[in-house]
This record gives sequence, C-alpha cells and structure tokens, in this order.
Amino acid sequence: MQTEVFQRGAVGRMRIHVLPTTRFKTFSLSLFAGIPLDESKVTQVALAPFVLRRGTKSYPETIQFRERLDELYGAGFGFDIYKRGDYQVVQFKLDIINDAFVSSSQSLLQEALRFLGEALTSPALEQGAFTAKYVESEKTTVQKRIESIINDKIRYAAERCLEEMCRNEPYRLLALGRKEELPSITPATLYESYRRWLDEAVFDLYVSGDTSLEQVSAWAGQYFDLPAGQPGDYRAAQIRSAAEEPRTVVERLDVGQGKLNLGLRTGIAYTDDNYPDLLVYNGILGAFPHSKLFIHVREKASLAYYASSRLDGHKGLLTIQSGIEIANYEQALRIIREQLEEMRAGHIDEQELSKTKAMLVNQLKEIQDSAFERIAFDYNGIVSGKQRSKEELVAAIEAVTSEKAAAVAAGVGLDTIYFLRDLKEEAAHVQA
Amino acid sequence: MSKLDYPKLQETLYHEVLDNGLEVFVLPKLGFTKTYATFTTKYGSIDNRFRPEGQEARSVPDGIAHFLEHKMFEEPEGDVFARFAEQGAAANAFTSFERTSYLFSSAGDPLASLDTLLDFVQNPYFTDENVEKEKGIIVQEINMYKDNADWRVYFGLIESLYEKHPVHIDIAGTEASVRSITKEQLYDCYHTFYHPSNMTLFVVGGVDPQQTLARIRDNQARKTFEKGGSIERLFEEEPARVRESRRVVKLPVSLPKCMIGFKEAGPFPEGEAGIRRELTTKLMLDVLVGASSPVYQRLYDDNLISDSFGHEYNTGPGYAFSVIGGDTRDPDELVRRIGEAIDDAIRDGLPAASFERTRAKKIGGYLRMLNSPEAIAGEFTRYRFKGGDFFDVVRLYESITLDEVEERLRQLGDASMRSVCIVRSDVT
Repeated sequence: MQTEVFQRGAVGRMRIHVLPTTRFKTFSLSLFAGIPLDESKVTQVALAPFVLRRGTKSYPETIQFRERLDELYGAGFGFDIYKRGDYQVVQFKLDIINDAFVSSSQSLLQEALRFLGEALTSPALEQGAFTAKYVESEKTTVQKRIESIINDKIRYAAERCLEEMCRNEPYRLLALGRKEELPSITPATLYESYRRWLDEAVFDLYVSGDTSLEQVSAWAGQYFDLPAGQPGDYRAAQIRSAAEEPRTVVERLDVGQGKLNLGLRTGIAYTDDNYPDLLVYNGILGAFPHSKLFIHVREKASLAYYASSRLDGHKGLLTIQSGIEIANYEQALRIIREQLEEMRAGHIDEQELSKTKAMLVNQLKEIQDSAFERIAFDYNGIVSGKQRSKEELVAAIEAVTSEKAAAVAAGVGLDTIYFLRDLKEEAAHVQA
Repeated sequence: MSKLDYPKLQETLYHEVLDNGLEVFVLPKLGFTKTYATFTTKYGSIDNRFRPEGQEARSVPDGIAHFLEHKMFEEPEGDVFARFAEQGAAANAFTSFERTSYLFSSAGDPLASLDTLLDFVQNPYFTDENVEKEKGIIVQEINMYKDNADWRVYFGLIESLYEKHPVHIDIAGTEASVRSITKEQLYDCYHTFYHPSNMTLFVVGGVDPQQTLARIRDNQARKTFEKGGSIERLFEEEPARVRESRRVVKLPVSLPKCMIGFKEAGPFPEGEAGIRRELTTKLMLDVLVGASSPVYQRLYDDNLISDSFGHEYNTGPGYAFSVIGGDTRDPDELVRRIGEAIDDAIRDGLPAASFERTRAKKIGGYLRMLNSPEAIAGEFTRYRFKGGDFFDVVRLYESITLDEVEERLRQLGDASMRSVCIVRSDVT
C-alpha cells in the first residue's frame, strides 16, 4: 500500500498542508485559525464565524450562500469553535464530491477553495462593517447556543466541572464566549476585531483528496485575501498541578439522574515525552469497556450506564463522568476513588495493559481511513508545537510498561468533585 | 458467491447466502486500514408480539430486544469486550425499532474479530444472576434518557401520534417492564429472532472478499442450527388518526423544544417502492423547510428557529411519519407558521429550481456518505431489511419527479393527522 504523506507549503500567513490521495470520493478541506484564549476577545472571536456564514461579497444574502453550497452537490460546510491548549481555535470544514463521480463542468475543488476563501476573507459588508441584521441575529444565535448547554445534562455537568476546576484561568471560559458580552458588540466593533483576528491568528489550511500542493497553493493564493506576512507558530500550553485538597461542588437542578463529574490534573501534556504513558494510564483507568471504571462502577456494582474517563491532552486535564442514582453518590465516588488508588498503587495486570495498548494502537490506525481525522491528528501536532507521527506514537505506546503507567499516577491529582443532583431534599427542607 | 459491480460509484459488492440462511455481504475498500462489520438481526423494539412458525403467539415485556442486546455481551468466560480488546477491536451494539446490530471496528486482524463477533452473538448465556445485575444498569440508561430533552420531545411526539403500534413504546422499555424480564423470556426471544436466516452480516473495509467469505463459511459450518422457521409479527390495528394533537412535557430547558409530527395512513409500500417513497419524502421536506429554503430563512430572521431546526422522515412496518421542528421561543407561533408554509406550498407548488438543487445536494450527500464504512454498513442493512438496494440510491434520486415530490407534500396537508410535542420548563 502506498504511504500517503502531507505535502507542506505556505501562502503568505497561511500554512498549506495537502494530502494527495485517491482513497476517498471527496475533497476534504479544513481551515484552522487559532488565537490565544483571552477573556477580552473570546466572545468576538466566537461570534465572527457565525456572521461569516451568513453571506459573502459574491453571495451577500444567506439564501444565496446556501444555494451555492447545494449547487456544489451539497457541499458540506460548517464550522466549529473549541479550545486547544491555551488557544481558541475556529475551524471551517468543507467536504465536497470529487468531480469524477458527477457530471460537473467546473473543478469542484477550485470552487470549494473559492467559496471557503471568500467566506473567511471577503464577507458581506455594509458601510465598511459587517451587515447589521446578520450581527444582531447571530448574537441571538450564540446566546441561545450558550444557554442551551443546560439542555444536555451530560454536557452541562462536564462544562460546569471544567469551569469550577479552572476558575482562576482563561480555560474556564466557554469556547463560545461570554453571553454577558454579546449585547455590547456592534457591527463596527465586531468587524474591527475580525480584522485584528485576521492579522493575529495562526492559519493552517488542509486539503485531502486527488490533488497536489502546487494546485492547492495556487488556488489558495488566489482566493484567500489574507494580510501579508509569514505563518505564525503555536506555543505549548501552561500546565498546572492540582489543588492540595479536592474541592466539592454540588449543584441542584430539576433532574432525575445525578451526574458525578471529577476533574483531575495530570501534570503531563501532549508535548511531554511521557504523554504516551498518560494515554495508557487513561486507557486502563476509564477510556474503554475493559477499563477499571467501566468494570467496577458499571459491571460489578450496577451503579451506572456510563462511567468513563477522558483526557484533554493539550491541557493535561483528565475528567471522569458517570450518571448515577442520586442516593448512590457516596458509593459511586468511593468506587471511583478506589480505582484512582489502584492506579497509584500500580495494581495493573498484564491483561489490562495489553488490551489498552491494543485499543489505543487500533484507534490510531483507524485515523488513516478518515480524511478529517487524519487532518485533525496532524493539526494536533501543529497546535501543540510537537509533531509526532502516528508511527512514532504507536511505537511509544507499545513501549509503555505497567510501571510507567503507574508512574503517571504520582502526578495525577484530584482537583474538583462536581455533582449535579435534584431539587428534592432542598424542597423538603424549605417545607420544614 | 456473487459479485455486484457499481461502476458509477466505483464499488464492488460480494454477496452470499450460507446454507443456514445467513446473508453475508463484503464490500472491499481499497487502501483502507480498518474493517468494520455489523451482524444484524431483523428484530427490534416493535417486535413485542409474535408467533414463531408452529408455535403459540406471545407477548413479551417492553424493552426486551434492548435488554437482550446488553446481555449478549456476557459469556461464560466473562465479558466479550475483553476478547475484542485483546484483538485491538472496538465493539458495540445498538437496538432500534426494527433492528439489533452488533458491530466491531478493527485495524488489527479483522478475520479473528469476525469469529469473535459471530461466536458471541451465536452463544447466548443468561443466568438469573447476570440478568438481575443488568437491570440496575439499564434503569440508569432509561433515567439518562428521561433527563434528555431532545429524546423526550421526539418520543413524546411518537407517543402522541401512535396509540397501538409499538413504535410509540420506548426502545429501552420502562423501569417496571425491565424489572419484570426473566432469563426464560430472553432465551425465547433469542431463539425466535437470532436464527441465521433472520440475520445479515455486512463487512466493509480493507479485506479480501474471498478470504473473508471463506472464514465466515468455516465459522458457520462448525455450528448446527435447527431449521429456521418464519416469524409472524403481530400488530394491533393502529387507528388512522393521531392519538392526541398536543402533548407538553416539563423539563428544564433554555428554550422550549417543539416538534410537529405528520402521521401517514397506510398502506405502506415495501421494497423499492418503499425506498422511493422515503427518498421522495425526505427530498420534499428539504425543499419545503431545509436550510436553503425561503421558509427556513424567514423563520430564522424572525427569531422563531435556530440551527437546531430540522426535519426527518421515519418509516417501518406499519408506520410512517414526518417530523419538523426544533428549539423555539414561541411553539404556537412556530406551529402556525409551519402550517401556513405547508398550505402555501400545496397551493403554489414547489419551485422546480429548488427541487433540482436539492436533488443535487441529496446525491452529493449520498456520495459523501460512501466514505464512511459505518454509514455504509448501517444504511445498507436498513435498506436490505426493507427490501431495497442502498447502492441504487443515485438512480432512484435521478428518476424522482417534481410531481411525485408534490404528491408527498399534499399528504402533510391534513391537519387532523398532525401532533405537536413541546418540552418546556414553565408548564402550568
């Protein structure tokens, strides 16, 4: 099988990464723009892409913009805003059919780059600012998005746990920004902040499909109207250690099931040489159905449907989540803490280790079969400032021993215990 | 083994029906590292009353198909997840209205994992103790969904549309029905619905079709099955009208969630005609209220909908309904405006240009889906169980006419066939 590798170049401030491949029926495009996560900018940075998707210079009306995507054989266009390390990243995605499968008279990749370039750098404007009606309507949309987090209790508990754990650092902020700030944003101030963002953000354009670096670079140079300059670089994230004593936060809402979320700091991040040890640690603890949390909280104690751990490798954070009967809080917490102690004591058997390694290696290999996942994996290396090939990471995971995984535990500190529970006891108390 | 070429899609599908009745499909994906396989029985939550050939008819507790799915993973020697993990394969399963599917994804040795998949699903192991233990887990799963507003509005809607048809019953059942399930009932359902002749195995990815089929044949040849009989599924007659026109559920949400359901009266065509009706209806909904429609844009501009607004069509044995809705500040106004949009469209017809554009979009979306082994396996099996061919979708889209689309639109016009379900925090 031929090995496919990213070809790299740059056009002005934008790095270009092209993965020539004929395996997929599409061209997959991703544009990443990262800027340090900053309380004074976070809301404006988050709002801008919502306004950008309302219209461009050539397609100023939203309906024209969307009809254009439909004409391009229903090109999938979307964007996402998230935190990576100490950065707030805006990602635009476009997925479009390779011309070979349809009777198209135009190059669909060229049209896709033209569309994406214009959406990012040539928005619909009026009087030198963003279109007022779009800004007003998207302010409402972002506000609704932020407020709707509470509708999904699993996500809400995860966000609240993170917010509590990181309450003294910018990482507490939502990637969507602060809703209190939305009312004061105007079409003019948003446009100014967008122009500054174009000047300051680090841009990476990825394209996967039956094409070449030369072809993509030529079209990107033509269609992306970015300020002149050189590509920027990302800096490694600041990693904190856990508080001395874990802090417990209990919140009450009208819910039936309790959500128990634990926030831990590991002291290790993506850039560190022992990051593969941390991956294995997390795998043994709670990433899989053979992991300690699943076996002990769910299978043995029948306390939960889900009980797992998740790693944020860029920030060195580990979170544990479970949905439980409210009355079982103490028991579930005790069992979870016992599993953390087991890890610390190095009680890891050969089976747990080998299964975890096999699962992690499988996940890494499977990335190869999805264009967007390959792109995301490569960008992880860029945004963290440490490039690690899949092969290197696989080799490093295979070399992890039980001792190394247990050694990770020494640096893992439980920081925050967050419990979302019902209103019942409180109501009874009020009545009394 | 037969070989089916789809040159326009650049795909080749291999097919074989084994001696025991199991249908096997293999779709090699050149250059792919991983293999994804689904082993699916035509048995879901709606199959709660049935008569196996030569036996008495029986009713089983709600949620039993899903309970069975959970319990299949337990083997005398322990949890089967562990065996998959040793092979570096990630396993999972899901239960829907009509299907229960067991699956794995692996970049390691897919043939070994295929054996594991076939072996665990064909080896039920239920004890009083392990059945009892599962109940606590499933009750927490049910409770998780009870707190999920999107789930509640969707199932609330189906409950208000359907009175007798078991599609209105929660897939996981209720706490009481789950608590009542016994190992004898599980074995009974297992023996009825997990016979190879009621199942389909789909393998997609970086595999060699001959080797793969040989391995599956060998695996099945080692096992003996009694001859599979037919299964009669018994459904009470569903009244044509909706059960109730409006249902409100109280749950803490930031904005009300509102879905409008459009129930269809039978008969429901099967095979290609059924698939065609499904594609045509989805196309119609997209032209009517999709993100590039004028209706969508006006509702968005008036702050009545958000990005959560959408539509879908769901159909199976004895039921079919369309759904339109999302989060809204004013459910009653949204319902009124959607009703108005439907009336206008029925009166004025749908624009031919939007129809053509939407058709191109649907074909593009379908082709994009062919990059995903998971989507191919899931959709192929779903189409197969309905008697259609997933790889024939482009031809069907190309042959759909605007008249057909408008005919589907007209069936949304009967207001007596609509229900509304609303989830909101402030119910008085």
